Amino acid sequence: MGSSEMRFVLPGMRICAQEDHYQSGCGTYVLHGYVYASLAGVLQIQPVMKGPISENPSQTSTQDLVSVEVHSPGEQTVIPAVGDVVTAKVMSVNPRFAKLSILCVRESVLVQPFRGLVRKEDVRATEKDRVEMYKSFRPGDVILARVLSLGEASSGYLLTTAENELGVVIARSETAGVKMVPVSWVEMQCPKTYNKEFRKIAKVIPENLADMAVDVKVLNT
Amino acid sequence: MAGYELLSEQNLRLDGRKADELRRIQCKLGVFGQADGSAYLEQGNTKVLAAVYGPHEIYRHGAGGASRPTLTATSNEQAVINCQYSAAVFSSGERKRRPRGDRKSQEMSMHLRQTFQAAIKTELYPRSQIDIYVEILQADGGNYCACVNAATLALIDAGIPMKDYVCACTASLMNDRPVVDINNLESTTGGPELTVAVMAKSGEIVLLEMSQRFHVDHLEKVMDLAMEGCQNIYHILDKEVRAHVSKRGSLLGWEAT
Repeated sequence: MGSSEMRFVLPGMRICAQEDHYQSGCGTYVLHGYVYASLAGVLQIQPVMKGPISENPSQTSTQDLVSVEVHSPGEQTVIPAVGDVVTAKVMSVNPRFAKLSILCVRESVLVQPFRGLVRKEDVRATEKDRVEMYKSFRPGDVILARVLSLGEASSGYLLTTAENELGVVIARSETAGVKMVPVSWVEMQCPKTYNKEFRKIAKVIPENLADMAVDVKVLNT
Repeated sequence: MAGYELLSEQNLRLDGRKADELRRIQCKLGVFGQADGSAYLEQGNTKVLAAVYGPHEIYRHGAGGASRPTLTATSNEQAVINCQYSAAVFSSGERKRRPRGDRKSQEMSMHLRQTFQAAIKTELYPRSQIDIYVEILQADGGNYCACVNAATLALIDAGIPMKDYVCACTASLMNDRPVVDINNLESTTGGPELTVAVMAKSGEIVLLEMSQRFHVDHLEKVMDLAMEGCQNIYHILDKEVRAHVSKRGSLLGWEAT
């Protein structure tokens, strides 16, 4: 059952019995002990790497855990889930929170943006009470944030930037309108006017070091 | 029965079909570029367009006629399904005054929403909304069925996870004999109309409706015929979906098997 063998499945089609080493992945569901497809597409069986390693590393290596997935043609429908790193644009800032428009979830670009919110106390991990929103974000900034919760229906997802790797990635200077470069954890400098502006800077890890940088790659293209 | 012989001695109906024969079904997936998923379906002379949008953020401003669930605590755990049924003003013999928003359309929207609430894996998309729009272009009986079948295709095209195909079919009783997939003439002049929507593979009934009552002795055979009709419709839809998926897949470089 390698990936070279293409097999089409359709919603409601029984794929296999749910056994210990088969995991129901995306595009499938489990009912009465069997794995069924919920999408029309090709069947893929992939080894699982993440997750169970933390539970019992010795067992997974011997048991060869695989995930049964169905991939449909065209883009996958994604929505932000709790814990995801998202790329968002700052729409408005006030002293208590910043309103965002979520553009990407992990590496996939959303067809339609979702609304999000970063509260003042979720901007930094340290010295939370000394955070000033206007010194953290400005409208138009592109930031990386993590989804904390689904938030309220009126405001959208609740996000946080309280990690070193999260915060402003792209910002344009107020006067010249050019892309600024980070000079410290709290400041960005305009290459044209040498003006410094305050931001909550994200430490962007180079691509080959972490998966998270995929988000940044999306931004640069 | 109004002078018509709906089912002749030779077991043929007015349009020349046998009692257990479906109308011709033709369908096509992906007919719109704008929508996330769309489908066109013809069941005899009943013609339906379906478009699916989403999942996206919940909107609350509303156009009239849509069956719009009120936001409750459940919308936090599962997707909200929003259905809108509308029949074009030129769809029926007599020109309709308004395409949507009347009682009949509202009821139809509600039934469609309930049907797809059962079939779509809504728990995968908390705090989001899936829109299903169906438009009847020509109404010739079995409108609900055609809508369900078209919407199923559109949802598959949109790549929205579903537990199963939902297929719907009608059946009726003529001279105490069951007939399947009745058209407009048969439903207006004939006997009772039984509409059934099932999950094709598991055989679970999602919706069952009767327009008028008939003797319980007949129920079983009418039901059986309607269920069989659903299975036949499923095979037709399935064939079309396979063709569509392999076609789209081959564009992406998948090898068709």
